[in-house]
Amino acid sequence: METGFSFRLNRKKLLKFLVHFILTVCSIVVVYPFVFMLINSFKTGPEILNYPMYLPKVWTVSGFVKVLSTLNIPILFKNSLLISVSVTLLNVLLNSMVAYALSKLNFPGKNLIFKVVLGSMMIPGILLLIPTYAMLYEWGWVNTYRVLIVPAAVSAYNIFLIRQFLTQIPNDYLDAARIDGCNEFQVFWRMIIPLSKPVLATVAILSFMDSWNDLFRPLLYLRDQSMYTLQLGLYSFKTQIPGQFLEQLWAATTLVTVPVVIVFFFLQRFFIEAFAGVGLK
Amino acid sequence: MILLFKKISSETIWGYLFSLPWILYFLVFLSYPLFLAFKMSFLDINMVQPEKATFVGIGNWIEGIRDPLFWKSVFNILYNQSIFIALTFAISLGLALLLKEVTKGAGVFRTIYFLPVVTSVTTAMIIFDFLAGSGGPVQKMLLTVGILNAPINWTFDKWLPMPILAVFNSWKWFAIQMIIFLGGLLSINKELYEAAKVDGAGKWTQFFKITLPLLKPQILFVMTMNVINGMQMFTEVFMIFDLKGGPYNSGLTPVLYLYEQGFNQMSMGYASTIGLLLAIIIMIMTIIQWKIINRES
Repeated sequence: METGFSFRLNRKKLLKFLVHFILTVCSIVVVYPFVFMLINSFKTGPEILNYPMYLPKVWTVSGFVKVLSTLNIPILFKNSLLISVSVTLLNVLLNSMVAYALSKLNFPGKNLIFKVVLGSMMIPGILLLIPTYAMLYEWGWVNTYRVLIVPAAVSAYNIFLIRQFLTQIPNDYLDAARIDGCNEFQVFWRMIIPLSKPVLATVAILSFMDSWNDLFRPLLYLRDQSMYTLQLGLYSFKTQIPGQFLEQLWAATTLVTVPVVIVFFFLQRFFIEAFAGVGLK
Repeated sequence: MILLFKKISSETIWGYLFSLPWILYFLVFLSYPLFLAFKMSFLDINMVQPEKATFVGIGNWIEGIRDPLFWKSVFNILYNQSIFIALTFAISLGLALLLKEVTKGAGVFRTIYFLPVVTSVTTAMIIFDFLAGSGGPVQKMLLTVGILNAPINWTFDKWLPMPILAVFNSWKWFAIQMIIFLGGLLSINKELYEAAKVDGAGKWTQFFKITLPLLKPQILFVMTMNVINGMQMFTEVFMIFDLKGGPYNSGLTPVLYLYEQGFNQMSMGYASTIGLLLAIIIMIMTIIQWKIINRES
């Protein structure tokens, strides 16, 4: 009896250890590429080529110093930030407006509009790439920031997310405000926006990340180097100097990645929830 | 009565006012480009001289259907996706099942697993290119273990690019699926497992009879998103291949091909047709997928 009990306890402990062991091994696989990037960014060029796997023999920041003079990282940061923050703010505001109309207001055609929103999520973006480019080219929007901001300002998916959240807010609550003399805009601004903070955080994170990490659209639409985003700058840097200046490439990659990781660590709960709640209601 | 009428009409006005962003977006950035896509697919149109566009009927469509390079790119992406979807499904469901058992430190693991998701494809690809390259640590390890005899330049290989990119994408994206599956697992009623245990069902039976069927909404969602996103792979191959996808076109994806035709060869009409063909293929695949998953219940 005694041994049976302790055996079971040990088995349980062993299982627990095994679970943690597997999870830890996976963590190492996930993190290793970032560690690899980090240690190589502190090496000299030849050392990266010959001993990529080891810690630097001589720690140096020459890669960082050099890359800051070839690639204007502060400007790239500023450009990326300008575009992504605009996209994020517009997404939060415009999508919640539409979601409010679709969940809390009654008007003819409302259901049709909602069906169109849902249906449009099934359209692969690639289908519209060429015609959208042709259209924006004709408008003279190529090589402007608005070409990356305006078409990304509304998203069917974000409307859907916010609408699902808003349907849970009781109508009595809003009616009370209406009786007090609020018009619909005041109801929206003073009640809906503050009440839907959690879902708006999700929308903000998803739209910021999409915009910040995008390479394709900046590649298509931006011409002036002074307007490049971080991703585009990094890409052009990689293609300009194949093989050489490895230290600069690793330093640049580190400079681009580290701020994102820091922001992520501070807001991780929101990040993970943003993906956990995705479209499952 | 008049008051009621007035109230309804004002709500209608507000309704349209608030819907305006979507209505405008729908008209300008969805409907018109969609119409333009069809229109351009019947034209021989050059971006530099759009006024010289000529009507070619279904010429682009016939060319697309007969184009071996287009079908090669479709084959490549299907090859890539079949590996990516299976691999990511196994990894993310497996880790979700393990994470469910962990009480302390689950948050730490979740955070770590999300690191690749928040970094851009551009930076991740730069790192990965070096890691998996002929001088990189992965190949060195495989050489010492004896799996490889000599370093390989996998981007020039006939068959390797797509499986290797599938591994990269699994590493990059598995955490999203994992967190979605974990949410599903946590919402399953524990009494179901208790009842199954009483009935003498083993762990495997429980998994196949309870866990998998109840995860169906999550699986359906993840698979649909996988197909729509995965079929449009571009940045990954654009970063490390030329516009032909390497000497054997083994890195050519449909979107890379579309980019090459539209922005390198400047034939926008043909590129539009490729976009439409790809969209049709994606839609057919999505429908087939829904049919399969819904039949299983």
